[in-house]
Amino acid sequence: MASKKREVVSSGNELAALAARDAGCKFFGGYPITPSSEVMHEMSDLMPEVGGVCIQMEDEIAGVAAAIGAGMAGVRTMTATSGPGISLKAENLGLAQMAEVPLVVVNVMRGGPSTGLPTRVSQGDVRQAKNPSHGDYRSITLCAGNLEECYTEVVRAFNLADRFMQPVFVLTDETIGHMHGKAMLPTEEEVKAGIVPRKTFDGAPEDYRPYECAPDQPAVLNPMFKGYRYHFTGLHHDAKGFPTEEIETCRKLIQRLEDKVMMHADEIELNEEFMLDDMTGEKGEILIIAYGSVSLAAKEAIRHLRAQGIKAGLFRPITLWPSPATSIKKYTDMIKNVLCVELNIRQYTEEVERVSQRLDIEGLYKVNGRAISPYEIVNKVKEVF
Amino acid sequence: MARQIMRFTGVGGQGVLLAGEIFAAAKIKKGGFGLKTATYTSQVRGGPTVVDITLDDDEIFYPYANDGEIDFMLSVAQKSYDLFKDGVTPGGTIVVDPFLVHPTDEDRKKWKIIEIPIITIAKEEVGNVITQSVVALAIANTLLKPLDKETLVETMLSKVPAKVHAANIKAYELGEKYANESSSK
Repeated sequence: MASKKREVVSSGNELAALAARDAGCKFFGGYPITPSSEVMHEMSDLMPEVGGVCIQMEDEIAGVAAAIGAGMAGVRTMTATSGPGISLKAENLGLAQMAEVPLVVVNVMRGGPSTGLPTRVSQGDVRQAKNPSHGDYRSITLCAGNLEECYTEVVRAFNLADRFMQPVFVLTDETIGHMHGKAMLPTEEEVKAGIVPRKTFDGAPEDYRPYECAPDQPAVLNPMFKGYRYHFTGLHHDAKGFPTEEIETCRKLIQRLEDKVMMHADEIELNEEFMLDDMTGEKGEILIIAYGSVSLAAKEAIRHLRAQGIKAGLFRPITLWPSPATSIKKYTDMIKNVLCVELNIRQYTEEVERVSQRLDIEGLYKVNGRAISPYEIVNKVKEVF
Repeated sequence: MARQIMRFTGVGGQGVLLAGEIFAAAKIKKGGFGLKTATYTSQVRGGPTVVDITLDDDEIFYPYANDGEIDFMLSVAQKSYDLFKDGVTPGGTIVVDPFLVHPTDEDRKKWKIIEIPIITIAKEEVGNVITQSVVALAIANTLLKPLDKETLVETMLSKVPAKVHAANIKAYELGEKYANESSSK
């Protein structure tokens, strides 16, 4: 998907819907919420065109439940919402983690907690995306940092959901969701050629054991109505999906949910390194760590800083969870002055501290629903370093 | 072309968003970069709304206008005018609807304030109040000249239903006429 040949003038929310269609999504279940509503508006146009279904359910919970049901049936499926919606969907997201149902969840972040600031930007759901529901499992969370990525990250999310058989989050935010401009996209044919559908079992139905798989691999869930019988449950379950409390089976199941992701984190990691290639570790260099829409301001800030003779660069995780620990450590080991910029209070900075083993990371945070401007970043860099 | 930043402000429901989308799309059509962002409140109608339009030949990252860098603002609501005027660079141009926005004497010293009855033109001369966003589009383009008229009108027509093409062309022509008259004063 390296080439970008298709020029589209659109908004982030509309591009997320377009990506779902192109990636072979056939079902959208949801409940509209600002600032994500346009994803659903667009899906309601696009799904019938490709023989799919878009359904507005009675609430957020039913929206994700319907989407998970479609995933259980075997089709590519999506829901879109904002933070308050994720709070409501959390229980069912846990079910999808436990039952290993692939699903793409787009979260267009707005100010929180609770109903917060409906029309205003935030990155307050980064920590929530890591563990929306109780129990042990590993979140896969991607974060779009520009219009193009509202498309490409949704496509990637569908492929990762089928590869790892679990929900995959795509975080965007009010700024990017509603921003309207040019995006250079891969062609529809390229996206279709890159689709890797979920694995299926094609042996005899009586030999089928969907949850009996290698310790680092996801379940193999055949589509419904093809003669392969198994059971979905949120309880600890055996090879055929039926509830069990057998000690080793329970241990192995949850360990596998952890290992199927963490032992293959290299397949999920994606970062952007912006103006870092000339960094040598000499005194005075500045490393900015930012993601999502904030990285747009960070890039402008770096242009200004460099014009003033200050050598600054950006490390931008595109996959937030699992975090790109080794890559972050590489740069935080090399560069002394590190500034994390987030539209929340330290939600990712704490992860940077953890993986870098450094407690001298500086931060610029804002939680009033307004964007951080490039000048605020420039001023912060000059103030703290 | 150096970066051009415009800000359209009004209240929710007035349709100021569309003008921004048309500007961005027309600039992109010419091979450049254009971004539109809108900031609004959770009120369905009546909340202050601001649309920032950034046009550049080079890639634009940050999509909002930085206060103090806005060359041009157009406002059709007093509360939005009061909230957002300080973003306009001193000496910059602010177009207001004189029936809806009343700048202070101090404002008139700080900025070039042009009064054009945008809503009245749309309502009475075009005959359709919804065309105010196209009147505003024409005024902005005539005064600031970020784009050639032909590309802008063509883009505008591609975004409005065919049955209102004639009304929107009329709205554009009127906006252009009033803008030309105001700047020759």
